[in-house]
Amino acid sequence: MSERAIAIPRGLPRLSSRPRFGTIAKHVVLIVVAVIVAYPFYFMVTSSLKDTLEAIRTPPTIFPNELHPENYTEAWNRAPWGRYFINTIFVSVSVTILELITACLAAYAFARLKFRGKGILFTVFLATLMIPSEATLIPRYVLMSPSRVACAGFPCLGWFDTYQVQIVPFIASAFSIFLMRQFFLSIPNELADAARMDGAGHLRFLWSIVLPLSIPALITAGLITFLGSWDAFQWPLIVTSKPDFRPVQVGLSAFRQEAGSSYHLLMAASTFVVAPIVLLFLVAQRYLVQGIARTGIRG
Amino acid sequence: MAAEVIPANVRAPQRRRLPIEAIQAWLFLLPAVVILGVFQIFPAIAAFYMSLFKWDVVQGAFRGFGNYSDWLYDSSIRSPDFWRSLSTTFTFVIFTVPLEIALSLVLAYLLFQKMRGRGIYRTIYYLPYVTSFVAAAAIFFWVFHPTYGLVNDVVGILGIGPQRWLDEPNGIFAMAASSIGMTLPGWLAGPSLALVVLSLVTIWHFLGYQIVIFLAGLSNISQEFYEAARLDGASERQLFTKITLPLLSPTTFFVFTVASIGVLRSFDSVYVLTSGTGGPLDTTRTVTLLVFKTAFQQAQFGLGAALAFILTLVILLFTLIQFRVLGRRVNYG
Amino acid sequence: MRLKAAILATLMVVMAACSSQAPAAQQSTEADITLSGPVSITLWHALTGPQQVALDAMVKKFNDTNGKGITVTALNQGNYTQLYQKTLGAIQAGALPELAHAYESFVADYMKADVVVDLGPYKDSKTNGLTKESQDDVYKGYYDTNTFPQYGNRLLSWPFTKSLAVMYVNNDILKEIGKPIPKTWDEFEATALAATKKDASGKVTRMGFAFNTDASYFNAQVYARGGNLMAADNKTVAWNGKEGLAVLQMYDRMNKNGSGYSPKSFDYQSDLATGKLAFFFSSTSTVPFMKDLADKAPFSWSIANLPQAATDPAKAKTVQFGANVAVFKSTPEKQLASWLFIKWMSETDQSAQFAATSYYMPVRATSANSQTLKDYWAKVPQGKQGFDLIQYSSPEPNIRGQQDIRDVIFNMITEVITGKSAPDAAMATATTKANQIIKDAQ
Repeated sequence: MSERAIAIPRGLPRLSSRPRFGTIAKHVVLIVVAVIVAYPFYFMVTSSLKDTLEAIRTPPTIFPNELHPENYTEAWNRAPWGRYFINTIFVSVSVTILELITACLAAYAFARLKFRGKGILFTVFLATLMIPSEATLIPRYVLMSPSRVACAGFPCLGWFDTYQVQIVPFIASAFSIFLMRQFFLSIPNELADAARMDGAGHLRFLWSIVLPLSIPALITAGLITFLGSWDAFQWPLIVTSKPDFRPVQVGLSAFRQEAGSSYHLLMAASTFVVAPIVLLFLVAQRYLVQGIARTGIRG
Repeated sequence: MAAEVIPANVRAPQRRRLPIEAIQAWLFLLPAVVILGVFQIFPAIAAFYMSLFKWDVVQGAFRGFGNYSDWLYDSSIRSPDFWRSLSTTFTFVIFTVPLEIALSLVLAYLLFQKMRGRGIYRTIYYLPYVTSFVAAAAIFFWVFHPTYGLVNDVVGILGIGPQRWLDEPNGIFAMAASSIGMTLPGWLAGPSLALVVLSLVTIWHFLGYQIVIFLAGLSNISQEFYEAARLDGASERQLFTKITLPLLSPTTFFVFTVASIGVLRSFDSVYVLTSGTGGPLDTTRTVTLLVFKTAFQQAQFGLGAALAFILTLVILLFTLIQFRVLGRRVNYG
Repeated sequence: MRLKAAILATLMVVMAACSSQAPAAQQSTEADITLSGPVSITLWHALTGPQQVALDAMVKKFNDTNGKGITVTALNQGNYTQLYQKTLGAIQAGALPELAHAYESFVADYMKADVVVDLGPYKDSKTNGLTKESQDDVYKGYYDTNTFPQYGNRLLSWPFTKSLAVMYVNNDILKEIGKPIPKTWDEFEATALAATKKDASGKVTRMGFAFNTDASYFNAQVYARGGNLMAADNKTVAWNGKEGLAVLQMYDRMNKNGSGYSPKSFDYQSDLATGKLAFFFSSTSTVPFMKDLADKAPFSWSIANLPQAATDPAKAKTVQFGANVAVFKSTPEKQLASWLFIKWMSETDQSAQFAATSYYMPVRATSANSQTLKDYWAKVPQGKQGFDLIQYSSPEPNIRGQQDIRDVIFNMITEVITGKSAPDAAMATATTKANQIIKDAQ
């Protein structure tokens, strides 16, 4: 796992290369916490490989007596998972890309541009984070309905059972804007000055300097957005009726209802719904702390 | 180079510079404004409209702020319900957020250092966040099972008898006191054990998410600071308190704000873990759960919307106070 | 003079004749039309897994064989709560489907928006309804539950996925302790206690009874003890009488002597199957799950009626479960098509077919004669045991506010089994709250 050529090593460098007591203590803490944190996940995966009776045994066995990978095939065949996955991937990727774009643009404006009403607008954006979605569920549902007059006298959007109903409302998120704004605020002003003196406009500055410096933030926001979309449940359920457009979480919830004591199948389904995200994270987390070194900026 | 260096922040005469920059700003903001406006703000206004009426399945009589006053003081059923759920929600926040942040900050700091296997650690810590609450709930029901849960076995070793965990409505302070023979007055009983378990599950779930954000924040701190400090002979702890913490403060502030809002608003976790009922004797009925019950069990949309807006105001107030109190101490470097 | 008298007499005769032939109160003509062309209707439901498969098979058969050009599309909308949420939203948006699966309390709420069709005229229609014989064949309890006193006693929904509360018994344990299936409550308590086993340290290793904190089982027990749930005028609750109190007191005693425990999720099913539990109360819809467990690791189990206070077996009573289907107002053709579908579903053969594949109860008595059901019962005798008890099942109240009252009952039971309140104190608080809710909800 070689790191990119970076002049300054990431992370706080150790003073010596001999393992110190401090290092061992750190590992102990990390391992203990890791065990506690990972136990439920471990439980989920091992249960998915047990047979019916062993999966519901109490107290549960630590490791399956025999491995039953066919649980996965059985769980997969019980519902149109392939379709669900295609829907979910399409929606999540679209939302993530589009949301990052709008977030960066908006965050840049908030962080680095002066204009009247900035404070109020930011507060209004933040306010959208505070309104519980249960309150706006019905109005949003009505907005998507094919009704001709329910939207303050106007025809509504009529987007039931589509992809756009799951994508468009999430193209902007105050959360991502807030996150990127915090990062953009820490970009040193000297960089901005240098760019301006080079004749670069805001867009160019954003694209060539600010964004590359904010890769950890982008990846963070991207991961969180993607996961949020992957886990979307209540909204897709209410605005879709047919399996053609439904995402995996709706499928998983329906699965939970019918699983009853087929615990092993429910765990198998839960595992394969979660697996892509875990893989994605495994890949992405390297870049989280691997920014581009800021060489030659000061001094 | 002229000796007179014009500081970058000095603006040329306002009349000429501001409009262009303002126009650019609004162009940048346009997509966000449109989307948030149509899909968040407009429905919110519609919901507010609903909150002004008696809306019992269908729109009824105009009530002005009648729904609001019902929740705040006027009704003999709704007002106590509201204040109770508000208190539950706040207790939930107080128990969850500080602990969450402290834990994830420390872990992020540890994980930021070069060490073997940190990629694996980070992935493990992220797992709870990706495990959907549906799956997690099933597991936690087992782990905290009143009769044969793992946790009961563990605390049994510590000499504590089996507990009902998610089904336990009694307050933890009252339980602790009664175990040593004291009785506490009702209001000191503390959060129910069920609520504490909920807190723990929430911390478990969001740990990785917050670690990830802190890691990104840590990576934003330029190494030169550390180099310079080391040259000056600073110790590890001083590095942490004098450099890391202050320079991390934008991130910490962000996490604190977002975590608080998140917990104040949380619904999915509470709903799934209490099977939607509000927990043992309603001791885990947060305001969001009460909104859900009002709107989607009683079909009282006007009252439900009113309650949701009351909650929004509470969150807004809380956040504004945070911005005031904590925002000042944030270093933007 | 004679002419006048004659005219008067004639008039009187004519008038008398006319009045005796006066047409019966004009039925809604909507119910008597015939379909003129193909119709498509949508059914929203909350079934998943094997039940959904069973429903889909019935729908397909109807679409293929109805000969009237009716096409039904059945769509799952999540669980009952989500279905309810969605239907409420659809009412706001003016985008309702033609039919929806619904609990009685949901229908009461939907009717507040006046969107539900009165099925009475359809049932009685000479053209499209059921014959008297057919009507009487449907269990009376199923009519009762779908008749809404607060809306003028109209029939606003039709039985669809019905079941009932029964007692599940692990026969192996009973055989071991040498006791029969209890018939009275005292016997029940004693048998549960006898079945309880503790190990050396006092930890319970085998339980007698799994407490169910769901309000429906409380209601079932009140019925079985001879009580009523609501006062005759539906303005106050009646479960706070001596029967309800007796339930709480029994829970209290069983909690204290360790013969009862609180299960989580579905573990009472596996506990019974693995010989760790002697009794639990549940819906007949739990049968397929128990059968599954028995297939994997055989054990002997059966279904019986709840213990009863009444000595006369004909007076036995338990609670009816399950949901119904409501038709929403749209066009006369769509409404008729919807009715024809649910009528078809409830006919003898279809009801038997659906029951055998979905494990719900048939809605009429003659379904027992169908070979499909007989074959099913040969394989799963517990199905027949459940069927024989349908006649004893009574509906729960269907007034508005009932959902909240269920929460109140749930809290009341929780208070007792967590030792927070004594039975009478818990009962008193719950009664006050429940009556207040009823008042508010009207």
